[in-house]
Amino acid sequence: MNDIRLKRLSLRHPYLFALFLLITALGVNLYVQPNLFSQRVLSGNMRIFLPLMFLSAGQAIVVVGGGIDLSMGAMVSMVNAILVTLITRESGTSDIVTGILAALGAGMVAGLANGLSVAYVRLQPIVTTYATSFIFSGIALWILPRPGGLLPSGMTELYRATPLGLPLALWIALLIGLVWVGARRTRYARFLFAVGGEPESAYATGVPVSLMRLSTYVIAGLLSSLSALALTLNTGTGDPRIGEAMTLTSIVAVVLGGTRLSGGQGGIIGTLMGVVVLGTIRNIISFANVPTWWQTLVDALIIVGALAGPGLIRLIRGGSEEA
Amino acid sequence: MKNMSVSLSARDMVKHYGGVVALSDADLDVRSGQVLAFIGANGSGKSTLCKIITGVVEPDAGRLSLDGERVTFPSPQVAKKQGIAAVYQELSLIPDMTVAENIWLTHEPLTGRLLVDSKSVEQKTRELLDLFSGTYSEGLEPGAPVSTLSPDERQIVEILKALSLNPRLMILDEATASLDAQQVDRLFSLIANWKEEGKAIVFVSHRMEEIMRIADCVSVLRNGETVKTSPIGDTDEEELVELMVGGTQAIPDQLDETLEPSEAAKRLAVSGLQTRVLKGIDLEVRDGELLGIGGLRGQGQSDLLLALFGVIPCSGRVVLSGAEVHFTHPRQAMSEGVALVPGDRATEGLLMRRSVLENLQLPSWQKYGFPLSMDKARRDANRVADTLNLVMAGLSAPVNSLSGGNAQKVVLGKWLLRDPKLLLLNDPTKGVDVGTKQEFYNLLAQLRREGTAIVFYSTDDQELLGLCDRVLVLRDGEVTAELSGSTLTHAELVRASMESNQGNGV
Repeated sequence: MNDIRLKRLSLRHPYLFALFLLITALGVNLYVQPNLFSQRVLSGNMRIFLPLMFLSAGQAIVVVGGGIDLSMGAMVSMVNAILVTLITRESGTSDIVTGILAALGAGMVAGLANGLSVAYVRLQPIVTTYATSFIFSGIALWILPRPGGLLPSGMTELYRATPLGLPLALWIALLIGLVWVGARRTRYARFLFAVGGEPESAYATGVPVSLMRLSTYVIAGLLSSLSALALTLNTGTGDPRIGEAMTLTSIVAVVLGGTRLSGGQGGIIGTLMGVVVLGTIRNIISFANVPTWWQTLVDALIIVGALAGPGLIRLIRGGSEEA
Repeated sequence: MKNMSVSLSARDMVKHYGGVVALSDADLDVRSGQVLAFIGANGSGKSTLCKIITGVVEPDAGRLSLDGERVTFPSPQVAKKQGIAAVYQELSLIPDMTVAENIWLTHEPLTGRLLVDSKSVEQKTRELLDLFSGTYSEGLEPGAPVSTLSPDERQIVEILKALSLNPRLMILDEATASLDAQQVDRLFSLIANWKEEGKAIVFVSHRMEEIMRIADCVSVLRNGETVKTSPIGDTDEEELVELMVGGTQAIPDQLDETLEPSEAAKRLAVSGLQTRVLKGIDLEVRDGELLGIGGLRGQGQSDLLLALFGVIPCSGRVVLSGAEVHFTHPRQAMSEGVALVPGDRATEGLLMRRSVLENLQLPSWQKYGFPLSMDKARRDANRVADTLNLVMAGLSAPVNSLSGGNAQKVVLGKWLLRDPKLLLLNDPTKGVDVGTKQEFYNLLAQLRREGTAIVFYSTDDQELLGLCDRVLVLRDGEVTAELSGSTLTHAELVRASMESNQGNGV
């Protein structure tokens, strides 16, 4: 009975564990950095977190739908290269708008390519998106062979704005959460969880399984573009390798947020918390004066733990059954 | 015919899965206000025909007409739009979604044009659940995840899910198999109401008494062919069983002079064996005896074999070669001379891309020292390949280059290399051609002469009848009958598999 209640709670509120981690991590961070919630520090942190929030939100949708997208970081690099090539220091408003629209479109086309391969050609998501990640990285290097480019200062200043006293990036993060809470109540979300949970059953019930799979990758592409946009606004410049490390981090954030990698469960609220937890751990590590490669170790341990978790639990349960 | 009318007819339906013929010439007719019982033995193609009608499977040939007009259902969505809904044998529920989410999936009531109206969903779900009120535990409520429900409650949800579409034609494929008597009664009174409303119902069941109770008409399917359709009043249980079985007794008679098994040593004695599925099994096998396990699919036969081999946990007493054993890992069973030929050779029996040699020697490599003496391994493998009459390009050919029958011989061969004392066979002739089957039977006969005790589960009734000394019939994890000698006939076997309350044998 207790087991059942726990199961219901974790299905309805998958982010509970992430919330616990979030409070703990923020507590420790606040201890080592007492001005954590001052406007300046908060704004600085949120500007760094936001790109990863967009990216992880996209990853979460793909993972809930039963797939995975290893090309998201490469898409970020590609879109970053496109942005700084189309928009220069001297660009006027119309050029800026064209640049942003082109960037969003590029991400969605890239996502569409992933989605068609996975949903209709029926290739393995891991292999497909790993392969396309090289294509997207290649395009990034082709457009922007070496780091460079500069955005108009108006754009980067806009990203640093603090409307109503809170950083713009924080408002946008809240907006992502709100959109998800709304989306969770649509039929699309029901289909998403059904396809990720039990694709054969979903098909027999009449859910358009292939179309749903396709859509998750297109959404992931769009969110990669938004992630690249936020990242470019924050740095103000371009680097064809800037997104490389972000793929793994986005998966770690999804897992930390309580989303199961096998699909059909989880969501974006926990994922956003996962991003903050990771960023906060990074802060703590930098304050603790330990080498930064500890961060990589922490990321890796979280993934291993998440993948091994279900097996370990079964092992422990099986052991107690024998006794 | 108050507010809906419908008639559906399927004619000359044909469906092949690879080389296996699921349907060769199947017909089905049903119309408003009618309950059609659709029956047939294991593997006669009932589920395939149901899936064709609901658009899950596309037929290779045949005509489907709805209300007199010819139709095709390329996908489940199309059939659903025409008012056809099915309650499946393998449930179509999403375990981690709630009862309400599952029932209304794809036709959720909306507020505005976008958002799911969760209040209305919950209320409508309660109304549906009320139809079965009093027959389920309080764990079954709209917000409960399906994975937390018991099998009978899941079945109820599956039924309500089909009903929520308010279909004109409803297919109940083995929907009563996991329901208890009270729930079945409730379902039958609901079916009576649906008939009044003008729905058409196709009722697939193995329980004769239920068919006699509820059906207006009956269609009998045998080997993918419809052999009879008639009003239920014009026939009786005897005749239906006869029709399902058919006049043919194609498979070998008792192969040869059986050595008198009662004299031989007792190889295996099991009492009170329990697993999640099995509810206390007793059995005995002597050296050189071939014990058959029969019954409908999925009544715990595979569980029995897996439990004996130490794959799944079990309780109860298992005495092997005179000593009590409790296997918790197949390795332990193997070292005691037990071998299991699994049911699905592609996933459980073989490394499809590796060579014949590797597959044959996989359980036996430790016999060949370090470094492996490959010459000896090859010699032994060749010897077994000869015994099995294995048709192959060579020992180094990959197993996936062999025909189905020959691949199955490899699965058997790898265990023969270990000289098993007790051989467990889990439906080993599934999808194997007739010629290979014959060789396989001869091999079993030879093993028996050599004194191997064999437990043989088969979904092919004719095999059980032709090969076994005794057959235990399982139903719901219990032995419902032990057939041997004069009671070992097809009619008895079918009867024991299908009839719920029957005191034959044991």
